[in-house]
Amino acid sequence: MDQKEVHMKKIAVFVLVSLLLCTGLFAQGTKEDATAAGGKTTIKWAVWDIAATTYYQPLIDAYEARNPNVKIEMLDLGSADFMTMLQTQLSGGDSTIDVVAIKDIPGYNNLVKRNLLMSLNDKVKSEGIDLSLYGGVPEALTVNENLYGLPFRNDFWVVFYNKDLFDRAGVSYPTNDMTFDEYDALARKMTSGSGANKVYGAHYHIWRSAVQLFGILDGKHTIVDGEYGFLKPYYERVLAQQRDGIVQDYATLKTSSTHYSGVFYNNSVAMMNMGSWFIPTVIKEIAAGKTEVKNWGIVKYPHAPGVAPGTTLGTITSLGVSNASKKKDAAFDFVKFVCGSEGAQIVAATGTSPALVNDQVANVIASLPGFPTDPASKEALHTAKSYIEMPLHEKAGEIEIVLNQVHDEIMTNNISVDAGIAKMNDQIKKILAQ
Amino acid sequence: MASNKTALKKQLVAYSFIAPNFIGFAVFTLVPIIFAFVLAFLHWDGANPIRWAGLSNFIALFDDDQFKAALKNTIVYTGGTVPLTLVGSLLLAVILNKKIRGRNFFRTVSFFPYVASLVAVAAVWNMMFNPTKGPVNMMLHSLGFKNVPGWAADRHWAMPTVIFFSVWKYVGYYMIIYLAGLQSISAELYEAADLDGANGWQKFISITIPQLSATTFFVLVMLTIQCFKVYDIVYMITQGGPGTATLVLVYDIYNKAFISWRLGSASAVAMVLFLLVMTVTLIQFKGEQRLR
Repeated sequence: MDQKEVHMKKIAVFVLVSLLLCTGLFAQGTKEDATAAGGKTTIKWAVWDIAATTYYQPLIDAYEARNPNVKIEMLDLGSADFMTMLQTQLSGGDSTIDVVAIKDIPGYNNLVKRNLLMSLNDKVKSEGIDLSLYGGVPEALTVNENLYGLPFRNDFWVVFYNKDLFDRAGVSYPTNDMTFDEYDALARKMTSGSGANKVYGAHYHIWRSAVQLFGILDGKHTIVDGEYGFLKPYYERVLAQQRDGIVQDYATLKTSSTHYSGVFYNNSVAMMNMGSWFIPTVIKEIAAGKTEVKNWGIVKYPHAPGVAPGTTLGTITSLGVSNASKKKDAAFDFVKFVCGSEGAQIVAATGTSPALVNDQVANVIASLPGFPTDPASKEALHTAKSYIEMPLHEKAGEIEIVLNQVHDEIMTNNISVDAGIAKMNDQIKKILAQ
Repeated sequence: MASNKTALKKQLVAYSFIAPNFIGFAVFTLVPIIFAFVLAFLHWDGANPIRWAGLSNFIALFDDDQFKAALKNTIVYTGGTVPLTLVGSLLLAVILNKKIRGRNFFRTVSFFPYVASLVAVAAVWNMMFNPTKGPVNMMLHSLGFKNVPGWAADRHWAMPTVIFFSVWKYVGYYMIIYLAGLQSISAELYEAADLDGANGWQKFISITIPQLSATTFFVLVMLTIQCFKVYDIVYMITQGGPGTATLVLVYDIYNKAFISWRLGSASAVAMVLFLLVMTVTLIQFKGEQRLR
């Protein structure tokens, strides 16, 4: 053996030993169990944004009060990459997480596809859970006849408006039954001023959902169709509003990273379409005296002719049980509580819309201090039909990339509406055919 | 025999010093890199069983609009940023190597963008170059320009904006490297040239540039690799938009891996990126050898 070979051999042995050492270290690390001392069962709940979310702790307190032998621990995986983090953690075989919050439908689909969630069918049957209370949401969450999550929150889109701006302009408030034409006319009527005093009639945040999803409210199309001609009238309307200075320019909003809350708080927009998650935030900020807006209200989403008023878009957050959990029964019991009627009322008490909405729950939100007192705002909490923003689809992630890119191009006037739609059709058909 | 033992002992001591670093490198870098290479030939979504893909991940790239746009944009970005930064940093270094008034102040000013937090300066940059409300366009308007650029919001201007920003951000760093190179050039060479009656330009061409060739080579290689790997700047300035106007390869890798969960395709793109960087670096090495 020459010197070089000996050397190589030594290096090889060294690499092997160090690797073995590492795997040994890591194997030890994963053996830990989340069961706490003192005979209590500890359930670990993966959530996002503990600091900014007001309902986690009350839910846990209420559950622990009823179940003194259970301790619920939260694991904050951050907001921006929550689903990626969660999926990576569970795929890596983490058995310490028992209950998972699932932020959206594409994320739910990814977890289900990877077999990371427990099917709840048997539990739903044996515990007699009435799925009809969730207004069609469980159907949207069913994959191959299996349900893997119980609906927890259902945020739906409404139109927020600034009452003081309407009063000052002498224009009557928007109503719960507005067609798109009426909404457009109202936005144009409410636009006034210039410079620092400029009031925009409406506002679209840069998300594609704020514009594109008007198109799916007639129930004839979905965003994963592969055929997007139905978006044309909505893009044309919004681009015309942008051109006429009725709404703020998309390019400006994007490059300045303007948050939608800011423009609403500082009295510069009269109406804004946004999800119901914004309700508790507005209440809190006004109570803290951090806003210029004082009086506000909500009304139902505008609708196309022939579509029932109150038809809107929903974002569903669900709770599931990890397949790797060693405490599935206890975990499901907590899920059942949080997603059930008691949990719904606790969530509603913070101003957030739970998935289980009945009159009682709607009343809890409407009677919150700081919630608008007019009957129309209360009525707006009752939706007629809620279409989910992104249906369950295997290619949802890929489709979304294209939809976002083309939305960006159309809204910055880099491409015509027709060319943009042709591009979506072309690229998404290709993705669907793969 | 005894000397053999001492030699072994010495080596073991040396290895034990390398070990902590090497273990970290092996676990967090080497193994994932090897895994990524293998993954390029597989279909995997991160959880379901892995399937053999052969070359299909690579073949699919030929018909992949996202990849094609990203590849083109990455090459345009690198082709724009590398020469501009190289020339800019060399000129800055030459100027700031002279004994001029406020030299240290200007050196600090040039270096500042490099140390400043990317997130903060990108936000300021975007405000300044805001197409409707930004001071830059307002100034251009007042100077009489009618069609002012849309900067990050215009598909023709978005890439120049990103390149412009990158040059501004990195020029100071490479200037420091060039300054170090300039310090090491012997003053005698310039004195001899003075005696021969050479002017400034002749000295620059015949002494400064050749003497800096090793530095230039280093800057060129580092800069090229840095440009091919760009992600953060694009994310902060344009998010890859408008449309796919500034989508770069690393962005595409992220989208494929963590939005679409096609880890095989993502690794295939990563392989292409790796080969691209390697080829360009090898060409540069060869060129450098020939120059010597």
